[in-house]
Amino acid sequence: MCKNMATSLVRQTKLLSIVTSQFNSAACFRNIHCTAACLKNRAARIRVGKGDKSVTYEQAYHPHDIGHRKGWLSQHTSNLQGEDEAAERVVEDVFIRRFMYGTFHNCLADEVVIKRRGNLLVICAMMIQKLLPSKFYFLIGYSEELLSHFYKCPVKIEMQTVEEKVVYKYL
Amino acid sequence: MASSCSQALRHHVCKSNRILRVYLQKSWPNRSFVLSSAADQPAVSSPEEIVIPRKKTWSKEAVLQALASTVNRDPTASDYRLQDDPYLTPKTSSEFKLFSLSQESGKNAAKYFINTYPKYFQKDYAQPHIPCLMPETLEAQIEEVSEAALIERIQMRKVKAAVDLYDQLLQAGTSVSLDVTNQLLDLICFYGDSDPAQENVPEQRNEETEDIQDEPQAKKGRAPKANDLLKATWKENNNAERIFALLSEPNPHSYSALIRGMVKYGAYSKAFSIYTDLLNNRLKADVHTFNALITAAPEVKEKYNEKWELIVDLLKQMAEQKVKPNLLTLNTVLKALRRCGTLGKSQAFPVISEMKALSIEPSLASYNHLLAIFYKPGAPIQGQTDILQEVMNEVSGKSFTPQDPDDAQFFITALRICLDTKDMEQAYRVHELLGVGENWRLLGNDFQQNIYHARFFSLLCMMENIDVVLKWYRDLVPSVYYPSSNVMRDLLQALDTDNRLDLIPQIWKDIKQLGHGNRQKLVEELLTLMAREKHNQEVQESLAECALDIKKMYDAGDRGKVMLSWTATSLSDLTSVLLAAQRRQDAWEMLKLFKAHNRVPSEELLNKFLTCIKDSGDVDQAVELVQITAGFCLPETPKLIQRVQQEFELSEQQKNILSDLELQTFNSD
Repeated sequence: MCKNMATSLVRQTKLLSIVTSQFNSAACFRNIHCTAACLKNRAARIRVGKGDKSVTYEQAYHPHDIGHRKGWLSQHTSNLQGEDEAAERVVEDVFIRRFMYGTFHNCLADEVVIKRRGNLLVICAMMIQKLLPSKFYFLIGYSEELLSHFYKCPVKIEMQTVEEKVVYKYL
Repeated sequence: MASSCSQALRHHVCKSNRILRVYLQKSWPNRSFVLSSAADQPAVSSPEEIVIPRKKTWSKEAVLQALASTVNRDPTASDYRLQDDPYLTPKTSSEFKLFSLSQESGKNAAKYFINTYPKYFQKDYAQPHIPCLMPETLEAQIEEVSEAALIERIQMRKVKAAVDLYDQLLQAGTSVSLDVTNQLLDLICFYGDSDPAQENVPEQRNEETEDIQDEPQAKKGRAPKANDLLKATWKENNNAERIFALLSEPNPHSYSALIRGMVKYGAYSKAFSIYTDLLNNRLKADVHTFNALITAAPEVKEKYNEKWELIVDLLKQMAEQKVKPNLLTLNTVLKALRRCGTLGKSQAFPVISEMKALSIEPSLASYNHLLAIFYKPGAPIQGQTDILQEVMNEVSGKSFTPQDPDDAQFFITALRICLDTKDMEQAYRVHELLGVGENWRLLGNDFQQNIYHARFFSLLCMMENIDVVLKWYRDLVPSVYYPSSNVMRDLLQALDTDNRLDLIPQIWKDIKQLGHGNRQKLVEELLTLMAREKHNQEVQESLAECALDIKKMYDAGDRGKVMLSWTATSLSDLTSVLLAAQRRQDAWEMLKLFKAHNRVPSEELLNKFLTCIKDSGDVDQAVELVQITAGFCLPETPKLIQRVQQEFELSEQQKNILSDLELQTFNSD
């Protein structure tokens, strides 16, 4: 009886594999879920590991802690009732973050905080003291000028420096 | 219509205030007579008069300005251009210059990218449009040979391109209008026939040095200064003269442009000959031409009275041609009077009063020239201290706007005079004037600000007592001013005068932070001050710590470079400071340094050392000291030996050593 069950199972899986291989042909690429889906939140989370990975305060707390243990990284009023252009602000933020990450290569100690006050765009960045102050000032002047001309609004950078990345815990 | 009018009137009168009622009383007596008597009664019964003022309109920034006026400068913060972080705050004046210049160069780099790739910066989010945030066009757009293209190149300040285009236009036969030619002449004369761009400067310098070798010999009483060699001069037969000659009927504007260009670039006598041409053609010159000629007048004549006569002549011609003088006329006359010696002193005030009669208010530049006429640098003061006071009386409390480039010299000149006459009160008034309204803009660039603060601080150190000096010190340094080593020496003098030598360790920390820790004279003076007197215990301790810190400055740096070199006095001073704080071990190290650097210790130092050793009672060290002294072959050795023999209890061995040494020195004598 076990042999019968085994052979029927093998036949079924073979059938399934033939079916799936037909599905995997050029005509269509849809796969079949064979197991139950694992609905875990993976956004902005660093998973617990061996204990050698250093993690900052910002990285250690997860998005559900925003408003409780973390603040907001981007502050603007377009999410209020009756205000529009929220999506444009998001796109600008993404561009600014990538710009800062690329311009200040390997110097960023933590995420960039972007604040909008009226017309003014304030970029608050925390840097590691990797470069000489004169080089920092060169990059600050360059970024402020370029971003002001790009977004047609005054852009100011408020920078703070630390000696090393501030480690909150090890995961 | 009359009835509706009267109804409206009644309505208006009932609603409006008393002032309006008063006006209406005068204009419509028959109607308002009845109303006013009824309406007036409650007003008459009230005891005080209520005058309701006119409605005031505020500008949009009024609230912000009011808030800004409540905030003073923060003496602990650095300049507003820089970031507020300890790592990014400059500590010396060279660092400050470096940081602000690197920020500027970053901005220039960004501008280069923006102007080279303008297509990425065209999208306009701003409402209303902000023109300064759009990319600039650097290349001329209009390509064909036409007048519009010429105008475009003039506006873009491309001198050579404009001149070439003008020549092409003339060759093609099209005539260029007089206005445009005048604009071209203005451009050429302003920039001296060369492009204003920065890349041309190195080439220019090579050309100019050949031309200028003849120039300095022509000017007799003035040695050629460095900036004369770098400034461009008016070349012979340059484009301006050529184009001017091509003009069929030059109008006063063309003459004016040519004369002003010649005066700006040093061709003074030529300017006067062009002016005589102008007069021969029976044209009238404008006020700018006259200003330029007055500037040129002191250069073409030698004697003081000749210069003055020429200027008076020009002013008379100005009056004849009915040209109204302006502020720049006043300032150029005063500036010329500076070069007229004693004649300047007698003529300065009449000039000012005449100009005031023409309702020309003197600006800070006029006062600057006035002060310079009466207080020549380096000349002894002969009882003329009133002039500065009178000027300050005139100027106090007023807010000035920049109207003349020489306005920026006023504060520096005023403080120079205060420093020479040792007048603290006027210096405070000058400093107060800086705080009024917009006057801070007239302090000049960073270099001039530095001079101003240096003079102010030196005067304070000389005149005021130490508490006031330290109050100003904490206020100004280092947020506004980074003192030089000379000013720090003045501060040390002030500390010395007021007997506050206990503050020396703090000042030493500041000196190190300002980057003056490697200045030989300053450090030696510091050491001498510390070693001179005996203080109480804790002060002595702190001085000893400071001395050890200074010692570190003398040691070779990381790269083996020695910043300071030991002298006998500095070594002795350091050692005596350490001895006074009972630090024998450190002082012992110092003695070894004497030998290492080939310096000889003084007798009092050795005696002090011996006294110190006696206090501790270490006999071996005393003997060692005598041996070291013998090693130096000093004439005081026998005295020292005697002293040791008398004051210490010596063992046999030590007595033998000492007697040997005595014999040695005796023999060498």
